[in-house]
Amino acid sequence: MLDFFRKNQVPLSCCFCLLLSVYILTAGARGQLKNEPLSAVLMWIMRPLQIAAQGTINWIGGLQDRYDTLAGFRAENERLRKRIQALEVERQKLLESQATNSRLTQLLDLRSHLPGKAVTASIIAHSASSWFKSCLLDKGSADGVSKGMAVVTPLGVLGQVVAVTPRTAKVLLLTDPNSGIDVLVQRTRARGIVSGSLENGPVLKYVKRSDEVQEGDRLITSGTDGVFPKGMMVGTIIKVTKQHIGLFQFIEVLPAVQAARVEEVLVVGAINSSAKN
Amino acid sequence: MIATGVFPMRLFLLFFFVGIVLILLQSTFLSLLPFGPVVPDLVLILCVYLGLHHPTMGAAVGSFVLGYSIDVVSSRQLGFNAFAMTLVFLAVYFSSRTIWLQNPVVTSLIVLFAALVKGAALVLVWVVFLKTEGFWLGAVRNMLMEAILAAALAPVVFSLLRRSESYMKKFDAVM
Repeated sequence: MLDFFRKNQVPLSCCFCLLLSVYILTAGARGQLKNEPLSAVLMWIMRPLQIAAQGTINWIGGLQDRYDTLAGFRAENERLRKRIQALEVERQKLLESQATNSRLTQLLDLRSHLPGKAVTASIIAHSASSWFKSCLLDKGSADGVSKGMAVVTPLGVLGQVVAVTPRTAKVLLLTDPNSGIDVLVQRTRARGIVSGSLENGPVLKYVKRSDEVQEGDRLITSGTDGVFPKGMMVGTIIKVTKQHIGLFQFIEVLPAVQAARVEEVLVVGAINSSAKN
Repeated sequence: MIATGVFPMRLFLLFFFVGIVLILLQSTFLSLLPFGPVVPDLVLILCVYLGLHHPTMGAAVGSFVLGYSIDVVSSRQLGFNAFAMTLVFLAVYFSSRTIWLQNPVVTSLIVLFAALVKGAALVLVWVVFLKTEGFWLGAVRNMLMEAILAAALAPVVFSLLRRSESYMKKFDAVM
């Protein structure tokens, strides 16, 4: 018996791990995996490294921007070039400060208009898997972030918090196939659900064939889901297809917020008691 | 090709460090590369490497933990990648008994196969646990693109891992 286990220790340990995965999946699907300790430990290890890596990316991005800007002046007079370089470096610093200042002012402005409490957070990592669209924030339950909170920017909706540890929060983006946001077409007040998809970009679902929508229509949150404040920009309709059969129209949406270009976000609390899932 | 026995402490530390670096790369630098929605799956290549060169109980658990870490960083629900990576390790473990050649082409083919196994495993658990509309076309595209990218990167990653191991052996010999 012991010899059997010794000979087959690798397949048996794999089977054990597979069963454990299925157990985790099942428990997760039933919502029984709250305060799971291993995630917190892994996040505790990864968080500072991800912050450092993201900092490095930003630094390299800054260097590249500076290089791109300076490359245009290479053909110019040598004496002027040095002068321009110095001014350009100065200008980049000022522009970056101005841009950061502008972003933070917009966030503060947005925050003052939002109901309930709001936490400012930075994105420290993006999804490591092609199958899920998510990002990680540098604020967690210790900072007042909790599962189900809305994540927004001055440009519009980014997503919803789906998991938190004391110092990080995982955000399910609007573009993830598992997301769903109740929206209104701003022009006609037609209702629908914006959800991500693996095939295309986000799509607007459940809009009746009789509802009037057209390319260029803006989508805003309806506020009825209890998560997102009413009137926040979600995206713009880029394609409307009325199929020969079916009750609904097929509508493709361009999201208002591109997660890859966002650095700071606001995490907003539920706007009423029904928000908790 | 197959190394048996216990998973030495130094090797454990090496692969622990490499695992963290790869997850970090996948969640930061690589997710910004212009491959559309697909992120190059270096962790998958590491699991294949472990399955081929270190088919031990520790490596099997390591594959599970690597997948679980990806879940913690990325997935909506825990267990998806943990399941897929363990299955990849098991598939490579059984296949490795029939593989006698070792060159970049064979490495790429094995990783291609492993990526398809991972994709199939993800599709399976996705269908069971997350019922999503508009899934199949995107799933097939993701699976194929991930597999091709991983197969293309595999020889380089394998070479780096082998080099790291040989440095460690040299260091051990000196000590």
